[in-house]
Amino acid sequence: MMASLLSTEKLTKHFGGITAVEDCSITVQEGSITGLIGPNGSGKTTLFNLITGIYKPEAGDVYLRDECITRAESDKICQRGLSRSFQITRLFWDLSVLENMIVPIRHTGLRALFGPGMFHEEEERALALLKRVGLAYLKDQPANKLSFGQQKLLEFAAILMADPEIVLLDEPAGGVNPSMIRFIMDLIRGLNDEGVTFLVVEHNMGVVMELCDHVLVLDQGRKIAEGPPEMIQTNPAVLDAYLGI
Amino acid sequence: MFKRLTRWWPLPALIILLIYPWIWRAPYYHVLGFNMLLFATMASSWNIMGGYTGYKSLGHSAFFGLGAYLVALAAVHWGWNPLLSAPLLALVVALVAVGLGWVMLRTSGSAFVIATIAMLLIFRLLTLNLRSITKGAPGLSQPLPPWTPEFSRMPFFYYMLAWVILVVLTSAYIRRSRFGLGLLAIRDDEGKAKMVGVNTTLYKMLAFGISAYFVGVGGGVWSYFATHISPVFAFDIIVGVEMILMTMLGGLGTLWGPVVGAFILIPASDFILFNFGSTSIHLAIFGALMALVILFLPRGILPTIKDWIAERRAPSQAHAEALTMAEMQAASERDLALVDSSVPKVKSGTEQANR
Amino acid sequence: MHLPSTNVLVQVVIVGFLTGGVYALMSAGLTLIFGVMKVINIAHGAFLVLSAYIAYWLFTLYGLEPFLSIVVSVPVFFLMGLLVQRFMLAKVRGEAGLTVLLTFSLALVIEGLIGWLWQSTGRSIRTWYTSEIIPIKIAEVSVRLPVVRLVGFVLAAIALLALYLLLNRTDPGRAIRATIQNRDAARLVGVSVDRIQALTFGLGLATVAGGGALFSVIWTFNAGSHEEWISKMLSIIVLGGMGSLPGAFLAALMMGVVESAAAVTMTSYISPIVFYLILFLTLIFRPQGLLGARIREG
Repeated sequence: MMASLLSTEKLTKHFGGITAVEDCSITVQEGSITGLIGPNGSGKTTLFNLITGIYKPEAGDVYLRDECITRAESDKICQRGLSRSFQITRLFWDLSVLENMIVPIRHTGLRALFGPGMFHEEEERALALLKRVGLAYLKDQPANKLSFGQQKLLEFAAILMADPEIVLLDEPAGGVNPSMIRFIMDLIRGLNDEGVTFLVVEHNMGVVMELCDHVLVLDQGRKIAEGPPEMIQTNPAVLDAYLGI
Repeated sequence: MFKRLTRWWPLPALIILLIYPWIWRAPYYHVLGFNMLLFATMASSWNIMGGYTGYKSLGHSAFFGLGAYLVALAAVHWGWNPLLSAPLLALVVALVAVGLGWVMLRTSGSAFVIATIAMLLIFRLLTLNLRSITKGAPGLSQPLPPWTPEFSRMPFFYYMLAWVILVVLTSAYIRRSRFGLGLLAIRDDEGKAKMVGVNTTLYKMLAFGISAYFVGVGGGVWSYFATHISPVFAFDIIVGVEMILMTMLGGLGTLWGPVVGAFILIPASDFILFNFGSTSIHLAIFGALMALVILFLPRGILPTIKDWIAERRAPSQAHAEALTMAEMQAASERDLALVDSSVPKVKSGTEQANR
Repeated sequence: MHLPSTNVLVQVVIVGFLTGGVYALMSAGLTLIFGVMKVINIAHGAFLVLSAYIAYWLFTLYGLEPFLSIVVSVPVFFLMGLLVQRFMLAKVRGEAGLTVLLTFSLALVIEGLIGWLWQSTGRSIRTWYTSEIIPIKIAEVSVRLPVVRLVGFVLAAIALLALYLLLNRTDPGRAIRATIQNRDAARLVGVSVDRIQALTFGLGLATVAGGGALFSVIWTFNAGSHEEWISKMLSIIVLGGMGSLPGAFLAALMMGVVESAAAVTMTSYISPIVFYLILFLTLIFRPQGLLGARIREG
């Protein structure tokens, strides 16, 4: 049985009168591509925010491998090997494409801190990643000059620079044309083969069905079902949540 | 030719500065020159925090005053030569800044600004009231410099010139470093910077400490220059505001902006003071100038010039055309082959940061 | 720290409380402006002093009762607020750093003009009731209440009540509160945020005009006083929670009491910095203030 890389245990988060996430316990197996689906408002992004340290939960815990990261700061969580993308792409808009690649770091330390901006190895890695996503020819362009799809690719490539073990993707296929969706899916699969675990929030069911080997379903802040993709399509709880049937 | 001018202009400027005191020999010019260099140093220092991270400290003259008093006290009690003690005691100032920064940087940008004002006022009030140490409101005097009256202000001029060079070198080094890139990322989107692993608290604290250091040096040198210092002048909020105004005038976040701003504003301020005498109207004009800069030249002189030049060379394109994946990858393969043989790597990343 | 007699302590706490009421009116506008516009109006102190000068000159030249100067200053300041917002602040919208500097430059201009027009002599208003004291007895303790502070407190309370009613019972007031809570949601229900911002800034300055009238009979002031007072007001709103009106009220009362008590209990170098120490402590232990919302980054 594969080891659990990321898990949450009875996470609960309130915002004033609204309970965004309630008693939520999920597990992401190492080496998997796990999907996270659910109707709008089911708490998926809040869950991401809880995992990555933007919010602190009222109850429950988050574990990365065996380490409890519930109260950890976002930068420490990233340094432990967890990276994430945002639903609305977030980049360093005034910095260049290449600079956006260099900022994410896994290691601090005096040499890394004060040494010349781009060490040779890192610039090579950055360029290789940019090549892989087809953005290398734009490397000196400010990020705000990129097209929407290119920005999404850049965000993806940049979070890979931190050499994460697990990547949380928030709607990677959102608002993107079909050829790029295909490309992103191939990219995810390729990286997964190389050992990166993924937790993907996605509304595009085609992507979920084809890409994920395991799916978690949230509704109103709780996990209501989980299983292989095919199971989800027939699970009555899921249908009820989405369609009210 | 034009390109060479933009790269190498500091050199002739430096030569002019070196011979300046010998050409204009009246003490007035030496004092003016000293003030220009003093503020160029301090504005550049402030810029490391305010320009690179975006956290604009309004109370930076707290460090000026602290440096002034530390150096003056060391001169009076232990006979330390200020020119030697200033760089040393400024380290104390920097440490204090890091400590205070740890408290003040936990909050959002707005609260940070307020905290820096409070910090300045606390320093001033403590200095006024701890009379046994600081002699309170009447102020503190230290021994006069030992050199002959003929040279009276020249050594200060050259000493400060050395510091301008040092602060600009430091500022340049920071921009090219991973640390500097992290600071720019914090300015751009602090939350995102944290998410990608940047230890934002540490970075901000370090930047704050470094930005306080050269201001502390400036204060120390000034205390020697002025011989007599008092809380009201050492902890004057206007000094800090001038640092900000100069930086904004020249170009917030640029390397040379603060220096350019200082070289423009100090003579201008002197001119206004000379012609309008009373300090009060001086304040009003100052404030009006500041408002005008903020409203009509928000990015400052240097970036505006730079953009103007860039627009004439290559009119900006909107978004990069959305090519298909295949096209983009082909372009990336092609361009990469070109890139490897072109300009040295260090330069390529910093052009964008030089805004 | 030496403890004075109960008499003195009670006296000091009550007077501090009364003073706190006046502080509350002075700071109300500042926190309101921040809540709606996310702008730190550094010029608030300068406007306070300006209003005090108006009260002073109306009293000195025409014998007008200082508290009545609001008839002149409030509408004038309200209008000024609208203009300043419309022609200056609106231009740098969004950039928090720039707006702070802009309001600071406004403060400098006001200070400079005041100093140029009326020199640096300290001004204060001495009316027939300036030195009047009302002695009262609470239990065994006899307290001497300065009339100015008592009247100041009562008037401030009335003004704050009016402000409260304005914000809670009128449509523009509700729109303002909505914008404080959630600007985008307010827009969605049809609130013209631009107009609300102008209105709020005008309202903020109008309240400080009132505060200045009260201020003028209690304290001495000159062109440079604004620096000290904006710092106090900022400390108050940070303690109360930036953007929270009830928070500012509470914090103002607290600060008034603490400041007053500190003056008689603590050493001469701590008491002047009490305000700022409290500010720092707030930032360390509870950055959102007493009643403010936790600002979420990320």
